[in-house]
Amino acid sequence: MTGLASLTTVFPGLVWAMAALALVQASRRAALWRLGTAASVAWLDGLAKLPRRYLVDVHHVVARDAYASRMHAVVAGGLLAASVLTALAILPPLGGFRPYWVLVAAAFGVTAAGSLLVGARRYPEKQKRLSAGRFQILPVLLVAYAVGGTVTALLLAFGGADGLLAPLALALAAAGGLGLAFEVRHGPMRHAAAGALHLVAHPRPGRFEGRPDTALQALDLDAPRLGSEVPADFAWNRLLSYDACVSCGRCEVACPAFAAGQPLNPKRLIQDLVAGFSPSEPAYAGAPYPGGRAAEGARGPLARLIGPDARIHPDTLWSCTTCRACVEECPMMIEHVDAVVALRRHQTLERGSLPEKAVGPVTDLRQTGDPGGRPLAARTDFAAGLDLPPISVRGEAAVLLWLGEGAYDLRYGRTLRALVRLLREAGVDFAVLGPEERDTGDLARRLGDEATFQALARANVATLARYRFERIVTADPHALHTLRNEYPAFGGCYTVVHHTALLLDLIRAGRLKPGRLPDLSVTYHDPCYLARYNGETEAPRAVLDAIGVNRAEMTRSGRRAMCCGGGGGAPVSDVPGERRIPDLRMAQAAETDAGIVAVACPSCTAMLEGVPDRKAEIRDIAELLLQAVEAGR
Amino acid sequence: MKIAILLSAGRHPVSGAAVLPRLEAQAIRLAAGLGQHIGLHAGPEAAVVAEALGQGLAHIQHAALPEEADPVPALATCLAALAPDLVLAGRRGQGGAETGIVPYAVADRLGYPLIPDIIAAAPGEEAGTLHLDQSLGRGARRRVTIRGPVVATVHPDAPASFAYAYGQARRGVIEPVVGALAPHPAPVPAVEERPYRRRPKLVKGAPAGSSAAERLKAATGEAGPASSGRLLVRPDPDEAAREILAHLRRIGVLAAPRDPR
Repeated sequence: MTGLASLTTVFPGLVWAMAALALVQASRRAALWRLGTAASVAWLDGLAKLPRRYLVDVHHVVARDAYASRMHAVVAGGLLAASVLTALAILPPLGGFRPYWVLVAAAFGVTAAGSLLVGARRYPEKQKRLSAGRFQILPVLLVAYAVGGTVTALLLAFGGADGLLAPLALALAAAGGLGLAFEVRHGPMRHAAAGALHLVAHPRPGRFEGRPDTALQALDLDAPRLGSEVPADFAWNRLLSYDACVSCGRCEVACPAFAAGQPLNPKRLIQDLVAGFSPSEPAYAGAPYPGGRAAEGARGPLARLIGPDARIHPDTLWSCTTCRACVEECPMMIEHVDAVVALRRHQTLERGSLPEKAVGPVTDLRQTGDPGGRPLAARTDFAAGLDLPPISVRGEAAVLLWLGEGAYDLRYGRTLRALVRLLREAGVDFAVLGPEERDTGDLARRLGDEATFQALARANVATLARYRFERIVTADPHALHTLRNEYPAFGGCYTVVHHTALLLDLIRAGRLKPGRLPDLSVTYHDPCYLARYNGETEAPRAVLDAIGVNRAEMTRSGRRAMCCGGGGGAPVSDVPGERRIPDLRMAQAAETDAGIVAVACPSCTAMLEGVPDRKAEIRDIAELLLQAVEAGR
Repeated sequence: MKIAILLSAGRHPVSGAAVLPRLEAQAIRLAAGLGQHIGLHAGPEAAVVAEALGQGLAHIQHAALPEEADPVPALATCLAALAPDLVLAGRRGQGGAETGIVPYAVADRLGYPLIPDIIAAAPGEEAGTLHLDQSLGRGARRRVTIRGPVVATVHPDAPASFAYAYGQARRGVIEPVVGALAPHPAPVPAVEERPYRRRPKLVKGAPAGSSAAERLKAATGEAGPASSGRLLVRPDPDEAAREILAHLRRIGVLAAPRDPR
């Protein structure tokens, strides 16, 4: 009976030892996070909301891969339940109660089943997007802990703890369990510890409140150092968030630059940031940067991250289209785009090392308020022959139409003319800023030139303050995002509406009476800055449905749509790849057999229309609606 | 090597905003590859050239002058004190109160030679010498080796300027030149000023009404005036002078010789 008594102490003791080891390993890791700069964190609020953030928001993302979701529920639920139940058995009444061990054995059994599900993703051959390395031993450790735990608990439940089997089973459980706890520092189990803490101290808590918290945070231009050059320049909770990465590779599957063979892999980027502040990090074992080089360069909290000779090549940094597909897909809620922009800010503001081809547009933005260096008065040239009143005449209008950079483009001028004619048709009282409209500065901001962005933002806010209007309507989702979400930090709070939303309102109010165009087959391409950045996916589809076109969806649509390649300054950075992003997107559109790809953004129009040999026409929602309205007369 | 860059208060050709002229930004890049460089501006406001601090220049000397004063004496005084090996300037002004004559006037006053339209600069093999590559237009280049100090103007074909870095601009220093610089009134230009008028470009001998390809061939190819020149290698000076005069008469710059009766 002594054997049984000791085993009821030693087995729970093992779990307590695991917890202690995990705590030690996590605190060694925490010492690295503390290298980061200070950040204000609402601790109590975050802690209180942790269960909800995990069970609702994280689960929402994880569940997109049904297998991974089930696997995770079984293995993580089983592991937690079995470990907590075993740890509680340190209390003699529980440890001596045999039916309790039946319950423990059941929990370990569930864990074992989950471990096999984990193993099935990696053996005999791992799924392509997963990382190898230390992740490959995870199922082995899990199986050892779960099987050892099951056998030990069964022996405790049904007797036989004196036999030879008990020490063997306990040793197996100890090997697996302590191995798992040890892996909290460098291995796969880190995602559990860092991930939970990351959910508490998330730098964008608004994400969990159901609003799109996607605006870039304004940079203090008087700070001693601008942007992030070394890992220690990131806020500590950002470093923590990179440690939460579980290397699942969902980001690389979603990344348009990765798909195009440009040297960017979001997973690798995050892992390079981790390796940057953790000098003893094991080697990366996932997919590399396409066409990129092997990792090199110094490590450490004060080692430069970006450079031809550093860990991250500048081409990697400038390949990002800021489409947020990686952020959308990340089950650990990591903010990749924020990291990219922080690194770009340092490159641009402190080193002046923009990509060569981006220097011209950014310089023109700074000097003329337009990335093409064109006269601001020429913005309304597209509307020759149309009645386009400048707001300066009356000083007020119900709707201020923000034209954006697309107005200079001949092709996009067609869209804007269609929109202006629709607004006239519906009797909307609208006006434009005309020569007073400067660029919103979106391009400069995504390329890291925060100084130019802030100057343009302040100038535009001052201009808008002089006029009275109820809302701003724009056909450019980039301008929409900047005006709606990023200008409030500079004192400009406006109601900003995308033209598709306004057109839908006008149809529903009966002010536009479109006919039906049932002969057209259309697929709608969601702009990143409308769908992912602002969560607006329904209005454009509702307009298409109102005009009765035959609508098909691409495999990737809505918030999970693929980028056209036109955002984040990627077209002006023009990092070479093996393929072009818009070509890939048009190939996806071709799978729907639609004759028309409907767009709602000047960048998407330009990128997709520039695809050679495309079978489908590119038409803006406004153009299609105008055609329907004219057909309905 | 010490390089001084003359900075002027330019205006953007489209927006009219006060900007650093493009050529001077390119001059900074040329100088950055050579050695220690400093900017020099003479005018009422230093803020107008502060943009240069973000484009690779760490230090600007500013000689404060009244609005209408002539900057050349002040620049010459500052340059004499700085004693640079190379003075770089833009080849023309860009919309502001500045003018492309200034580098010539400064060189004249200091007695320095002036090499126009350079696109590259490198130290020569001998100490104190410089290799300056001039652009002659249409891709032609000429390397000049010269002993400094020398004034050189920068051609737009020079390498593009550095990107503007706000952080560097914050750290740059504008230092006022101490010591009173007596303001000189602006010189009355010895030339007649007229408003600019576009003149049609005439391509002589271009066959009217023919295709674009034929006109191009006539202008540049074997058939046109470009092919009618004669190549003289080390000609006798008299013969060379006669040839030049004949050419100038042919294209109508000089009147035909008076009939020697």
